[in-house]
Amino acid sequence: MATRKARMSFMFKRFKGFWNQFRRSKRGMAGVFIVAFFVILAVFAPVIAPYDPISPKWDEGKYPSQTLPPRIAEKLCSPSWYKYLPWIARGPTETEEFFWVNLTKFAGISFTAFGRLSITDVNDIVNVSKGTFDEYKKVATDDQIRLSHAAIERPQLQIVFPNGTIKEVPVQTVWWNLKSPAVVGGQFGEPAYVSLRSFITSLKATLGDDLAYTAFEVKYTYSRDLTENVEIVPEFQFSSNQTFYENWNWNVTGKSSVEYNSDKGVDNDGCIKVTYNPLAGENESTVVIYKDFTYPYWEPPESFWGHLSIHYQGAPITITVFTQKEGEDAINIINLSATELKENALIHYYHRTIFPAEQPVLEASDSLSPEKIMWPSPGNYTLAVEVSFSGNQGTTVYLDDFNVILYGNTFGLLGTDNAASSAYPRDVFSTLVYGTRVSLIVGILSAVFGTVIGLFLGLVAGYVGGITDEAIMRVADLFLVLPTLPLFIILVVALKLVYGTVSMWNIILVLTLFGWMGFARSVRSMVLSLRERPFIEAAKAAGARKFYIINRHLLPNVFALVYITLATSVPGAIITEASLSWLGLGDPMLPSWGKLLYDFQSSGIAITRGLTEYWFWMFPACISIALLATAFILMGYALDEILNPRLRMRR
Amino acid sequence: MGLKEYIAKRIVYSIILIFAVLTVNFLIFAMLPGDPLRMYMARVETHTTHEQYLMLRQQLGLDRPLHLRYIEYMIRMITWNFGNGMIGGGVSVTQQIMERLPNTLILLGLESVFSIIIGILIGVLVAHKRGGWFDTATVTGSLVTYSVPIFFIGWLMIFFFAVQLKWFPLGGIQPQSWGRHPPTNALQYLAGRISCLVLPTVTLFLFSVGGWILLARACVLETITEDYVVTARAKGLKETTVLYKHVLKNASLPLITSVAMTFGFLISGAIITETLFDYSGMGLLIWEALRGGPAPDLPVLQAIFYVIALCVIIANFIADLLYGVIDPRIKYG
Repeated sequence: MATRKARMSFMFKRFKGFWNQFRRSKRGMAGVFIVAFFVILAVFAPVIAPYDPISPKWDEGKYPSQTLPPRIAEKLCSPSWYKYLPWIARGPTETEEFFWVNLTKFAGISFTAFGRLSITDVNDIVNVSKGTFDEYKKVATDDQIRLSHAAIERPQLQIVFPNGTIKEVPVQTVWWNLKSPAVVGGQFGEPAYVSLRSFITSLKATLGDDLAYTAFEVKYTYSRDLTENVEIVPEFQFSSNQTFYENWNWNVTGKSSVEYNSDKGVDNDGCIKVTYNPLAGENESTVVIYKDFTYPYWEPPESFWGHLSIHYQGAPITITVFTQKEGEDAINIINLSATELKENALIHYYHRTIFPAEQPVLEASDSLSPEKIMWPSPGNYTLAVEVSFSGNQGTTVYLDDFNVILYGNTFGLLGTDNAASSAYPRDVFSTLVYGTRVSLIVGILSAVFGTVIGLFLGLVAGYVGGITDEAIMRVADLFLVLPTLPLFIILVVALKLVYGTVSMWNIILVLTLFGWMGFARSVRSMVLSLRERPFIEAAKAAGARKFYIINRHLLPNVFALVYITLATSVPGAIITEASLSWLGLGDPMLPSWGKLLYDFQSSGIAITRGLTEYWFWMFPACISIALLATAFILMGYALDEILNPRLRMRR
Repeated sequence: MGLKEYIAKRIVYSIILIFAVLTVNFLIFAMLPGDPLRMYMARVETHTTHEQYLMLRQQLGLDRPLHLRYIEYMIRMITWNFGNGMIGGGVSVTQQIMERLPNTLILLGLESVFSIIIGILIGVLVAHKRGGWFDTATVTGSLVTYSVPIFFIGWLMIFFFAVQLKWFPLGGIQPQSWGRHPPTNALQYLAGRISCLVLPTVTLFLFSVGGWILLARACVLETITEDYVVTARAKGLKETTVLYKHVLKNASLPLITSVAMTFGFLISGAIITETLFDYSGMGLLIWEALRGGPAPDLPVLQAIFYVIALCVIIANFIADLLYGVIDPRIKYG
């Protein structure tokens, strides 16, 4: 019996020899490096991934517990590093688009229909043949001129007659609402419209059928930009009086004063204190507390979220939050009336979140999405809260947790998803990093369990033989014939029916249950040939028991196969898990790669928008699955070349 | 053992397998703890009264003892009567399966023919030039395609050939413009159907051809060092004759077994491919049973599973027969 130390050193030597051989296989080393990379990702996921993979929240725990914390970003954001790509156009762009008009009369009523002409130059209009126009007219069309981008200024409109003369048409305010860049009849987020129906009808009265082959040219400016999230008040908790006095200014009319208070805030920390001390005969006072900020982007934010906590002692007050671009009118974001405040804010803090759907916002926006009016273009803005006092009673108001976040259209390393099953869009990169854990755990564990069961059953079947062998092998045959994915689907659905959800362990269980047959077969055939060898006979003659022979003589001889099988059965498990999740049969609370792809698939973006626009949502996960699976296969292949005796002989 | 005896043995074995599959299928449903119907009802969240529940229970035969249910189930499966699914109503499951099965078989058959022929050709070629750059590239490439998830291949196909280039339709079983009136011209009809088949077939092909290349390569490598190959070369035969007549013929036995074995594996790919391409086959039927109703329709899934398993067993049986015909050791043994 060798000593423990000697055995250890022997093992070490053997491993070293093996490693020297393995190192020479380029494929094997590539596999090792890739797997190591993913293992590092999985282990350090909380450090590497900046956000929660399932329902990430911005500044979770910093807002009062009564408030749902804001989301980290708008849904379907692009990666934020897009801004370094020079070919993505940013800023205002002048463009011109051409349209044709079709006039028909049916039952005494004239219809106007517009369609797009696919030309880029005015002179081309003359060259468009009448036949082409007629072809265009057959296609069903809009009743309005529909520009492909939202215009930021009043567009220019020209009529190009068939003989080549061009006539400028002043765009009237009826067709074009100056305050809102996109327009009459437009919906939230839709491109701009120019309503010309009445104009066309009047033109037709004077020009007659001449209009039939007339084109319209619209020149306008639109702007595109990659916007990022802008948090207007990063120090919204008002925990230090220095930052408060540095960042905030106020205008006071009447007998009021503004100061910093260090202990009356929501969590007994800092807040803004507004005091109203009217003299006799005075009964009105207004305080506007404002903060200046710069909005640097050529495109309005996608949406916004705001918050304000109010508490007061004394007479009823009203509060208005508004924003204002330098040199333009203020736009109210929210009006809190005395009645709304009185019910809540008189006793406790009243916590109010601010959404784009607020009434004053909608009134100001003229059916346009509000953030497009509030922050339409780059410039200096102010965010302000106005407190109005009335009456002759002394009143103290405390304001805290005041913040407005403007959500941009870019975020993180790989953008965000469409928040299909929750209100919180997820950071794709974080989900991807955490998904490494799921894939590795499911892949490795089910491979290990399957291999161990296969090894055990194979050894038993091969060595014991008889009925045991027959029983095990027939079950293996049956299991091998069953088509795996349909069977897994049924099992997972059954588990889901019983337990409500599918956990990762259910999937590991199912994969293990049907992952041992192939290996059991090859172990059995190896054992069958091994047990006829003289050294087994010798062991038997020496009085060794079955278990001893299996453990000491058979196991070491088949163990080389274990490594190979381990490496080659991991990819199958990883891909099957991903496929099941892709079919929507995974754990919805588990951030796996398959779930990421399921969300992508069910969003339908692959068909509606193509893969290029949202490649970052789906490509990295697919490539990760492929890389990890390939890495294990490459490792298995290299191991096979080293350890498989038949292949080794040929070398 | 003569050929007849061999065939008889395979038939008996296949029938036993079918019974085993049916039993497994039954057990999955029967062994669910609790009352699956009640759980299903809770999931569906329709307001069913107790009477309705009892009626459905009786309809599905859940109120009878287990052994009676087993026998009844066996009879229903063997007589190809799959009922109407959990919710009932609509088209019978048997009819749905019979409509979809040919589509899947066409897809799988077409794909198999291409991938087997091309895979084996490349595999033999690569084994012949073992160790060269072509070998390394092909083997690495095969390993990679083998491990790329099939929906990724499918998305790329859809994106490049359907969305960008518009060469083939996005999905479906026939061009959308046909509607309910397919063209009567046989040539036109065939062209339309084939245009819809191309992308799913290519996706499945890319998914499975790597496996064939590797397998063919391994099988050929086993035989290429045999003495009779050296003899054949020594006789002065052309290298292609040696490869395809002497080496491949002897290496083909394990390949034939694999044709049937990979059928089950291919079906896994087909489920996903059909879902991706909206190709109305068994895979899409699975997807519909999973997602169509408020909750997965387990009886329908079971019926589909049974039919698929039956196909796999039949494929195995055919492969065994071929094996018996090709391998003289069985015929004259």
